[in-house]
Amino acid sequence: MYSKLSTFYRLLLLLMFVTIQSLQAQDIPAQPNPPQMVCDFVMKLNPTEKQALEQKLRAYRDSTSTEIAIVIVKNTGEYDPYDYALKLATTWGVGDKKKDNGVLILWATETKKIRILTGRGIEGPLPDGVVKRIINTIIVPAFKQGQWYQGLDEATTEIIRRASGEFDANESEDDGGVFFIIFVLIIIFIIIAVIISKKGGGGNGGRGFRNDGGWMPPIIMTGGGSNWDSGKSSEGGGFDFGGFGGGDFGGGGAGGDY
Amino acid sequence: MSKNTIIGLVIAGVLLFWGIGVRNNMATGDQEVKAKWANVQSAYQRRSDLIPNLVKTVQGVANFEKQTLSDVISARASATQIKLDANDLTPENIQKFQAAQSQLQGSLSRLMAVAENYPQLKATENFSELQAELAGTENRIKRERDVFNEAVQGFNNSVVKFPNSLIASFSGYKEKGYFQADAGAEKAPTIDFDTKK
Repeated sequence: MYSKLSTFYRLLLLLMFVTIQSLQAQDIPAQPNPPQMVCDFVMKLNPTEKQALEQKLRAYRDSTSTEIAIVIVKNTGEYDPYDYALKLATTWGVGDKKKDNGVLILWATETKKIRILTGRGIEGPLPDGVVKRIINTIIVPAFKQGQWYQGLDEATTEIIRRASGEFDANESEDDGGVFFIIFVLIIIFIIIAVIISKKGGGGNGGRGFRNDGGWMPPIIMTGGGSNWDSGKSSEGGGFDFGGFGGGDFGGGGAGGDY
Repeated sequence: MSKNTIIGLVIAGVLLFWGIGVRNNMATGDQEVKAKWANVQSAYQRRSDLIPNLVKTVQGVANFEKQTLSDVISARASATQIKLDANDLTPENIQKFQAAQSQLQGSLSRLMAVAENYPQLKATENFSELQAELAGTENRIKRERDVFNEAVQGFNNSVVKFPNSLIASFSGYKEKGYFQADAGAEKAPTIDFDTKK
């Protein structure tokens, strides 16, 4: 009896879980793995075009930390395209976490809608009126003639031109952070060592040893950190850019249909 | 006796530290809500700041319907009168604030709907940019309100639940108000101007 009931509940739970899951999956597409700046879920761009855009946006990201993502979906479901774009942009975290300098270009091919969202930090060089003008004067005319790549290419060029000089690359800052963490860890290590050596009576030998063991993981962690860093610097190959930075959006941007 | 005193002291100490922790948590949450409130206000302020510009542009068009214009102007005046300090974000105050603002939103969207009937207005670059700015402002308001509501929810959860509520009543933290979905919120997307220009 009990087991029957529990299987029933388990089934119910599973069912609930599945429905919730499928709803979410419908709502917002998952990020491709490895992450990409250009996510074409509809295959509107041919591989060469996609690669060209991807290269361009990655190079720009590497030199300025500004992340411009292009997402092409079939439609936005029952969502308002703006809400959909905002959810996508914040879930994926386009833009640097501190600078919030992400830009998301969402294109719903079936409903012919374009939404460009600007992160909180990049609203200055890209006010809504400018974004609107980019859509109306660059993307819409190109898309009306089916020139998908040209529209996106010129639009991103214009966005890059507008945003140039606003942000710097992240590299040096990251290094500073890693060095700082290492520095702090070394200081802590020294303090611990001093405390242990002061306490170091006969009976405490065992404990001291155990403490040493306890302090191994942080050292391994810093090793991992520097590994990650070197991995990052070798990303120029263009296989994996390491994902979006976690930027936030405050509702800036504009939309248009073609 | 002395043993009991020690146990008592230890319990009192643990309680004290627990209380301090909980109270500090609330203080953090309180600060966060206030920060988000500032964003909400500046989003509304942004809309308010756009209106004189909009009015000027629309007035430039000959024989523009006067009534909708003066509605917007008076709604803006009454909306800006209701100032809400971050220290009393009670549910009633939020509701009052929201009522005034949604009246402004209503009259604004009426104005924009009327403006659709004036081709000479729609043709101007200035107006289409204002449209985009206004649409962006509505989006910002919505976004900041959502973020604010999230922060309030976190704060309220920490204040109203049982053992915490004792600490909250000691330190004077009260439940804060949410923004409700606007009556006729389905209307708001009309300002999303996904226009063909």
